[in-house]
Amino acid sequence: MRTIEITSEEREKAFSTVKKPEVIEKQKLDVRYHVEDYEVRDRPRRFLEAFAAILKHTNYRFALEHFVRVSAKCSRCSVQCPVYQVTGDPKDIPCYRSELLLSIYRRHFTLAGSLQGRITGKGAINDAIIEEMAESFWNCTACRRCTLECPVGIDHALITHLGRFILSEIGIAPRALVVSTREQLEGKTGNTSAIPVPALVDTLEFLEEDMEEEKGVEIKFPLDREGAEFLFTPAVSDFLMEADTLMGIAAVFTATGGSWTISTNYYDAINYGLFYSDRILERVIRKLYSESVRLKTDSILIGECGHASRSAKYYVPVHCGGENAKPVYNIMEYTYRMLQEGKLKLDPGIITEVVTYHDPCNIARQGWIVDRPREIIKTFCKNFVEMSPNREENICCGGGGGTVSIDEIRPYRTTVGGKAKADQIRATGAKYLIAPCANCKKQLRELVEDQGIDCEVVGLHDLIYKVIVFDKAHKKVTSEKEG
Amino acid sequence: METLLDFARGPLFRLTFIIMILGLLRVLILDIYGAVEAYRRAGDKRLDWKNAIIKTLRWIFPFKSAFAQRPFYSALSILFHIGLILTPLFLLAHIQLWEDGIGISWWSLPHFWADFLTILTIIAGLGLITGRLASRGARALSRKQDYFWLFILLIPFITGYICANTAISPSAYQAFMLIHILAGELIFVLIPFSKIAHCVLMPISQFIITLAWKFPARVDDKIAETLKKKGMPV
Repeated sequence: MRTIEITSEEREKAFSTVKKPEVIEKQKLDVRYHVEDYEVRDRPRRFLEAFAAILKHTNYRFALEHFVRVSAKCSRCSVQCPVYQVTGDPKDIPCYRSELLLSIYRRHFTLAGSLQGRITGKGAINDAIIEEMAESFWNCTACRRCTLECPVGIDHALITHLGRFILSEIGIAPRALVVSTREQLEGKTGNTSAIPVPALVDTLEFLEEDMEEEKGVEIKFPLDREGAEFLFTPAVSDFLMEADTLMGIAAVFTATGGSWTISTNYYDAINYGLFYSDRILERVIRKLYSESVRLKTDSILIGECGHASRSAKYYVPVHCGGENAKPVYNIMEYTYRMLQEGKLKLDPGIITEVVTYHDPCNIARQGWIVDRPREIIKTFCKNFVEMSPNREENICCGGGGGTVSIDEIRPYRTTVGGKAKADQIRATGAKYLIAPCANCKKQLRELVEDQGIDCEVVGLHDLIYKVIVFDKAHKKVTSEKEG
Repeated sequence: METLLDFARGPLFRLTFIIMILGLLRVLILDIYGAVEAYRRAGDKRLDWKNAIIKTLRWIFPFKSAFAQRPFYSALSILFHIGLILTPLFLLAHIQLWEDGIGISWWSLPHFWADFLTILTIIAGLGLITGRLASRGARALSRKQDYFWLFILLIPFITGYICANTAISPSAYQAFMLIHILAGELIFVLIPFSKIAHCVLMPISQFIITLAWKFPARVDDKIAETLKKKGMPV
């Protein structure tokens, strides 16, 4: 049952592809996203080898065993999937997508399944199934809403996560993500946006001058300060695209006297591994953690970014020493704490427009950060409207699961993936849409543009920058300096 | 006929019931063993138990969670489950069999309510079959066994109702009773090997998926080595 209508024109646009037929032919892969050239021969065998290797060394097997046993195919998940609600294509039902991988698991990795397969001669993996998975697993935005709705408790997002991981091991992963990760782990600049250190330093100095001019207060981005409390790492793209967010964060630290630092050795919290490969996830986490060890910071603080926060919060402990690992926080946790402690003052008279808040899936779905941003917003904003549903049940921006970084599928993201979100935003009539996540921001800006919604997408700290109140002591420092 | 009935009610019942119990224990133990192994390998052993418990309870008693979406379908499904669980357990005739067999007995449903639940279960089951057939999405998902289960589960209810409430000839009664018992026993045998195993596995699902996201530490090198990719660029 489809509940969200799009026009046939939109549909055509969403499913069009920019890829050349000869590339599709050569790579034997009819998907909308670009893939780097890879070995196309013998894909099924290599897929099974990768699957087996992953099962051997990871924890997926017990979960798959469980899912295979309980899956009841009740189709409840279909009502929660924003993608299926738009396409109405049964192939987009989360449970259908999961079955692609579960049936291969059953057929090739369980005794009963392989016996049955040998008798009936059916169900073995082949090129067509691999191609279907390559398309299906990347139609999903990994928002995990379906998991909330499954009565028997199947985590479809975990299956999609694993499916993408296996595919990446045979060379099938969106080029945009792979190229960025390569630069981050092996490139000269060591970050996904390939920003060299001089450019970073220049940008930050420029922002510091700007802030001093605007606020009359000396606000600094402390670089490479050993022993600081927080190693601050945003999604590196913030240095290019989200100056206001960074200024807001610097302003909060200045006003509250927080001890923080940005490392010029490594300044990128983006972790595309969460979207396509546990091996990459692990390497990026270890790189981030070793930087905090090198600078002897007490903890790691992630900027306004959902996936970066989730991957660091949950996988720093996994790979860097369990409960003894340094804690990881999201910037909103810090700002909220400062507000509670009375160290942060926000002016409630400046923002009079209607404001709404978008919950990034990666920090909201498990109930981690849902109330704190709302508490912060309500202190300075009288006209706050909720979208519905919200919090743990929020609707994805439509660019989740790394798909926002795949520019060639923008029409798909803004007409299919983000359609439900667009309707939600429109219903609020908000002037400001707060989205404390680099990925959500990029997607939502494209979404409001493509859908013709009159609304400005901002980060939470963008608005905090506008309303923050500095006490006289801070102003004095500056005037003395000028004097 | 009489001997056949006695056989079905006696030894065959005991055998199939034991198969069901042992089979369910097997999958439960395998599942828990897998979870314990996974926990042992997990790089971070702190689990959000509280959240898992809340979610589990919310789905065992789904009166709130289920109705937010597709209320009619949810109502059918919940009624169906209530009927499936309560009717066989609390039917007076069944309890008497237990009492005759091993001397234990418990509270029974009044006749009227037993009939009411039986009819409700049958209607709900037919509704679920219709729902599966009518929705394009559900049809695409459904395997043969998904229809088979709805069908086979209704047989004991229909035949049981006929035996308890209609004036039919003794030989017809015996025939229906035999079908009733054999269908029930077929269900017993198949439960542990099918999706109905969720009757014991569903309560641990939320713990499994909480744990499943806790990966083992440092597997990059091991996977790379197995796949002979060690040292290869991204």
